[in-house]
Order: sequence, then C-alpha cells, then structure tokens
Amino acid sequence: MIVLTGKGIFWILLSFFLLPGFLNAQSSNLKMDCTECHNDSKFNIGFNKSVHNENGCTSCHRPFQSIDKHISKIEKPLLISCGKCHNEIEKEYSKNFHYLYEDFKCQDCHYEIHSLKKKQQKDSKIAIVKNCTKCHENEDYAASDHSAAAMKGNKDSAVCSDCHGLHDTRVYHTSLETNTAEAREFYSRKCISCHSDAEMMKRNKLSHKTVEYYEETYHGKVQDLGYPTRVAGCADCHTNHNILPPDNPDSTINPKNLVRNCGKCHSGFHQRFAEFKAHPDYKNKNRYPSLYWSFISMVFLLLITFSFFWMHTLLWWRKVYWEKYKLEKLGIVPESPLPHEEAVQEIKRFSGKERIMHMLLIISFFGLVITGFPLKYHGTPWAKALISFMGGAHKAGLYHRFAAVILIGLFLYTIWRGISFIFSKGSGRSGWRGWIDRLFGPDSLMPNKNDWPQFKGMVKWFFGRGDMPQFGRWTYWEKFDFLAVFWGMFIIGGSGITLWAPEAASYIYPGWVLNIASIVHSEEALLAALFIFTVHFFNTHLIPTKFPMDPIIFTGRQKLEELRRFRSLEYERLKNENRLDELKIEHPCISMKIFASMFGLASLWLGIIFTIILLWTFFFA
Amino acid sequence: MTFKCSILFAISIIFIFTFVAVSVKADNPRYADPEETMSLIKNSKALTVDTMSYIECMDHRIPGSICISLEEFDRNAPLLLKNKKRPIVFYCESKNCVRAGEVYKKAVTMGYEDIYILKGGLPEWKSAGYEVETMNRVRRTPVVSIKFNQLQKMMTEKKGILILDVRTESLFKEGHIEGALNIPMYMLHKQFHAIPGNRPIIVVDENGKRSFIASSFLISKGFGNVQRLFSGMAYKEKQDKIR
Repeated sequence: MIVLTGKGIFWILLSFFLLPGFLNAQSSNLKMDCTECHNDSKFNIGFNKSVHNENGCTSCHRPFQSIDKHISKIEKPLLISCGKCHNEIEKEYSKNFHYLYEDFKCQDCHYEIHSLKKKQQKDSKIAIVKNCTKCHENEDYAASDHSAAAMKGNKDSAVCSDCHGLHDTRVYHTSLETNTAEAREFYSRKCISCHSDAEMMKRNKLSHKTVEYYEETYHGKVQDLGYPTRVAGCADCHTNHNILPPDNPDSTINPKNLVRNCGKCHSGFHQRFAEFKAHPDYKNKNRYPSLYWSFISMVFLLLITFSFFWMHTLLWWRKVYWEKYKLEKLGIVPESPLPHEEAVQEIKRFSGKERIMHMLLIISFFGLVITGFPLKYHGTPWAKALISFMGGAHKAGLYHRFAAVILIGLFLYTIWRGISFIFSKGSGRSGWRGWIDRLFGPDSLMPNKNDWPQFKGMVKWFFGRGDMPQFGRWTYWEKFDFLAVFWGMFIIGGSGITLWAPEAASYIYPGWVLNIASIVHSEEALLAALFIFTVHFFNTHLIPTKFPMDPIIFTGRQKLEELRRFRSLEYERLKNENRLDELKIEHPCISMKIFASMFGLASLWLGIIFTIILLWTFFFA
Repeated sequence: MTFKCSILFAISIIFIFTFVAVSVKADNPRYADPEETMSLIKNSKALTVDTMSYIECMDHRIPGSICISLEEFDRNAPLLLKNKKRPIVFYCESKNCVRAGEVYKKAVTMGYEDIYILKGGLPEWKSAGYEVETMNRVRRTPVVSIKFNQLQKMMTEKKGILILDVRTESLFKEGHIEGALNIPMYMLHKQFHAIPGNRPIIVVDENGKRSFIASSFLISKGFGNVQRLFSGMAYKEKQDKIR
C-alpha cells in the first residue's frame, strides 16, 4: 500500500504543473528535430502553412526506436491512422468504394498531405471536381450545367461528391447494367434531395415541385414504392453526367431528342408518344390546360356524385332507423296481409348467370382495388406493405391486368345480354316499337318516366311528408348503380387499356393523353371504390332493415312478402301477368346460405376495412 | 432380374450417388463470413489465401495470407499448401468472389478437405472493420480512364499507343482489341520489362476494377504516359452489342 507523505504530494503536484510544458517541449523538439533532416520545402514551408501545422510530426508518425536505424533507412516510423482525429470521416470511409475495392488511403486522394490547406466551401467544390477528374476525366460532366455553375462558384450546384458521396463514395456501374435497382434508387435519391429543397431551388430559379410532379406519374409512383428497376429514374431521361436544360440542342430532353430518349426503354411507338409529360403540374391551367381540366372535371364528378349520394344515404338511414326505433318502442310488428304460406314463399329475383356475374364482379373489383390503389397512394406504409405482400410492383401489375380482363369480359357479356334483351322477340309490340318498349320497360335498367316521381316521393318520405313510394323491378338507385358502373367502364376501361399498352396507344393519340388517362383512371377508380364501399354497401346491405347483409344477390331469391311490401308495382305486375307461380322457388339449401353469408360478409368487411384505410390516408397520411 | 443386371443396377446407383454428391459438393462451396473467417484463423489456425495477382496481394491482404493467384494455383498450391487437412479460406477482391470460387473448385479436385470461400471477399472483410496488411504498397497515382470511343479515336489517329491487356491468356484468346499486348495481371510484376517504355500505354482489364492498380504499378516502375480503359472490356463489349 502506498502512503502519501507531504513530500510525495509535493512532487506529484509539481509534476502535474510541469508535465504539459515538458510534453509540448518534446513535441516541438521532435518537430524541430525532424525538419533538421527533412528540410525540403514540403516540410519546412508547406507543413508550417498547412492545416496540420499545430499537430507536430508525431501526431501522424509513430516515434522510432533508434535514430541511427532511422537515418540508415532501416527503421521507418509507422503511420498513425488519420481516423484517430478524423474518426467520423473514418467511419464514412469504411464504406468508400476506393477503400473497399482499391485500398486507397487518405493520402491517395489528398496527395500533398504535408501542405494540406483548409478550403472554403466555394473552393472545396471546385477542388473536389479537380481532384476526381484527375482519374475520372468526364467530358459529359464538364459540358453539363451542374459543372458550369459549380465552376462559377455556385455552392448549390452538384459536383462529384454530391451524387457519389465524399468520403463514403459509392459506385454503381450503371455503364455495365449491374446493380440497376440499387443505382436507380441511390442516384435518384441524390437528385431528389437537392431538387426537392425549396430554398435551394428558389435560389437557383428552379421549381422544387418537379420531384413531386414526377412522383405523380407512373414512373415516380413505382420508384417511390421501392421498385425502381423497370421504370425511368432521373438519370434514365436526363443522363448521369451530361445534364442539360431542354432548350440545349445536346440535351436528351430537348424536343428533338425525346423520341430517341424514350426509345431507350420503350419500343414500337409512334413519335408522338414522346409528347408524354414526365413531370407535369396538372394544377397549372396555363401550361397544362388539358390536364388541368381533366383533373377539375374528375374532381367535380366526385364531388357531385358523393354530395348527392351520401346525403341520400344519410337521409334514408335516418328515416329507416327512426321508424324502426318508433315501431320497436311501441312493440308494433308489421303484419302481412298475405296468408302465412304465401308470406314465407320465396321467388326468384336473380338467375344463376346473374349471381355468377356479380361474384366475378366482386372478385375482379377487389382484385383491381387491392392491386391498383397502392400505386395511387404510393407514399403510404400500407401501400408499400401491400405491394411487398404481392411480390412487388411488377407482379401487382400483372394481377391488376388479370382482374381487368375478368371485368372487361363481364362488361362485354353485359352488352351482349343487353342487346339480346332489347332485340328479343317479346310478346308486346313488334319492330322498333317493341325495342323501345323493352328499353324503357319495367324489366330494363334504363331510366324511365317513373324514376323521377319515385325519387321525389322518396325525398318526401325522408322528411315525413308522404309514404315510401311504390317501386317496380328496379329502383332508381339500382339503375344508377348499374349504369354508373357500365358507363364508368368506358372511362376506366378505356384509360386502363391505354395505360396497359401506351406504345400502341400512341398510334391513336399523342403521349400527353397518357397523362390524362392516368388522372382519369386514378380518380375514376377512387369514385368507383368509394361509391361501392360507402353508397352501395350502405344502401343495400348495412341499412338497418338489411343489416348485416342482404344475401339476395348470392341466393338469387327473396320472400314474396318482401316483394309485395317494397316492390309493390312489380308484385302487382307479376300477379296481373300470372307469373308469380312460375317464379316461385325453394328456400336455399344450407350450403348456399353458408356460402352466401361467408362470401358476402367477407366482401363487406374487406370493403369497410379499405374505406377506413382510405379515410386514414385522406386525413392523416 | 439376373445377377448381372443387379450388379449393373447397383453400380449405376452408386455412380449416380457419387456423381450427385461430388456435384453438390462442387456446386455448393462452403462460405465463411468475415467473423467466421477470423474465428477460423484464431481457433483453427486457418490459412487465408489471396487469389489475386502478386502485385495486388503484396499491396494489401488479410494479415498473414499466402499469395497464390488463380492462374498459378495448380503449380503453386502443392508447394505452398502442403497440409491438405488444414482449414483454408480463399478470397479475392470482389463481392461475388468468382476467382476464389474457381480456386475452390480446383482445391476440391486436388484433395483439400477443409476449405472455405470468404463470403463477400476482401470488401466484406474491410466493411466488417478488419484490417489488411501491406507488404509492398504500390503508390497510387492519378490515372485517367478513357472511354472506348476515345480509345478508338486515339487508335485511328495512330498516336503509337500500346494497348496492354492484363486479362488472363484465355480471355485474351477469346477476343481482344486489335494489336493489344497481353501480360496477365499475375505476370505483370515479372514481365513489365517487356513493355516498351516510349509509347503511351492504355491498360485494359475485364471490368475496370484492376486496371488502376496495374497502371499505378507501371507508373511506379517509371512508365510515364499511362491511361486505362473505362470499365474495361466489359464496357467495350456492351458498346459493341448496342451497335
């Protein structure tokens, strides 16, 4: 055990005071000693003026054991890692391509390390370009706008290190088409980081929204979802180094060069395909009027449709709920005027073909929604998770097209059935009069003169100013359900096929129509999905009189009593035509009921979950 | 089935199984990541073998490694790797480690029993934070890389350039730039004297990753005018395909 006496403490304190001075003296002595022999200008003048001047020789070189051996070049002082002081840079450098693949050391890029001076930011950018181009002579970059601005001292303009990294230099050999995905991802992110910086772009008189507009195109959406391999990233159109403005004749985005530029990825297109806008602002009325008005039209369509039908559903719900509540409160159960046997009797409402058509419609509809909406809301976590679950954007696209084929098939079959219905040999008037009768008759889904009074009657009933109107085979909202989907198919199907085969479509119309098709397809899809999930579901299944669902479309049958009560005109018509007996049908078997419940409820729940996700996206994402 | 048939059947089965077993062994080499390699070195006294050229291996290698290039493995392995039971980890300087894979196949047929390939090669070793040692460092010097169209221009202008192809003899025979001189990388430290010193040199490799150190080596040996081909023959071949 060491016992400190007063004398011991005195010597310890003295050494504390004297040690730093002694070490400094040693350091400066060593520095002085080194330059006595190493006395060329690199050490005598260069090092004295360098940024490391204060450090002394032994901060980078380990001391040697024997001066004699050192003088006779037997013992060389080992180097101390620069990372001892520059530890953050050392961490970055551990990822550097030049270190990993070519074993570069600090001095291999900083060259005259002994006379190294600190650069100002403006100078440092120029110094970086000069340094990199010692090996990587790049005529393309030298001719670019980035280079011209950087050489003039623009500190915002991209130099080598801004895209490839400074100490963590990454290299993806795009020239050899290896690491395509990583390269697109990495370099596009670099472009985006500057070109979405509002202040930087404002300083340089450029739009910071270019990135945002790009991300609204198919290329940008797929890239943002994390699948950049098969879509154009920034460099695919603008090139890696030779980036020039569109008015420069050498620019790849100059109108004269666009056809060749698009042709790098696309083939078999008409030259007007190149009129596609790669990052348009569809809210800019002056620059992109067709896009602007397409967008506005779609917004209005959505607003009008939902304002009307959400209000209609809300009023209907209120009325039904209140009436049901009042009757329950008074203990009143409505009695049927029909005999018991007739009241429980079921009649056929939908044929087997119609039920299968509806099931296929559900499958294709959900298939399209699940595979398409992640692209629309590409920035959300649920979109990324869903696409990843499906195995990537490319596979999701394939499933989307498969579902679209089913829907197109159904659409064509519906047209065929419609034509067959109108031009069939009915029992009524012959010739064109018969066709008109059938087109606007009670079995047709076309609007007719009864719909408007029925709608007015319904509104009166909502407000307690009359009884619920009497309906025929089809109500006005059912006709709208059908016709909205039917006419919507021209818009969503037409735009979808255009986007499916954009090159072939260019033989019919110019490339900017693809931008319109994209907006229309996307907004029409939102209209269709929200309409089905919030209007059709609520009117048909979730309304208190039907809750939790109406299995009629799966079983194809309804109670005669229900027909008499809610579709009295149809009941009377069938009765007068003596057709009630031929439509009578057995109660569905247990397996059909179970299937109807399972399939129907699963579809309903899926729709409700999707509605919640969409609402979350609108308000919180 | 006769006795003869039964014997033939049994032989066929044994042959197929042996073939499959050898194929599986040859097609599925054992990999060791940097941590496992370090553990093999420390605990099992494993030997690490750098399969790059002598110049590259002496410039930087895993501490204590032996330099045996892929091209010289058949000749040098019996001399330098006498204990066939000792664990050996082969590596090269690329993440895919094709060279180490080729050496591995040779080592299997030569009867080495406990062998591995360093997963991710030397870049992965460095990324994991392990050090490399330098025996004879090639001083790095700025070397301009030129694209193939620039090379073509130089060739048509007849500036007396010498194209030095440092790829292996077999790759050189498969196809090369007209008039090129072939000194493979693994022979460069012995044969650089054969290169005329008064002509501008363009160093050409497979994909641009080895031409830099080859060029630096030549400059360190006194060659004044050395440039290299951007992305090597792979880029040239790609350009040819595009054309």
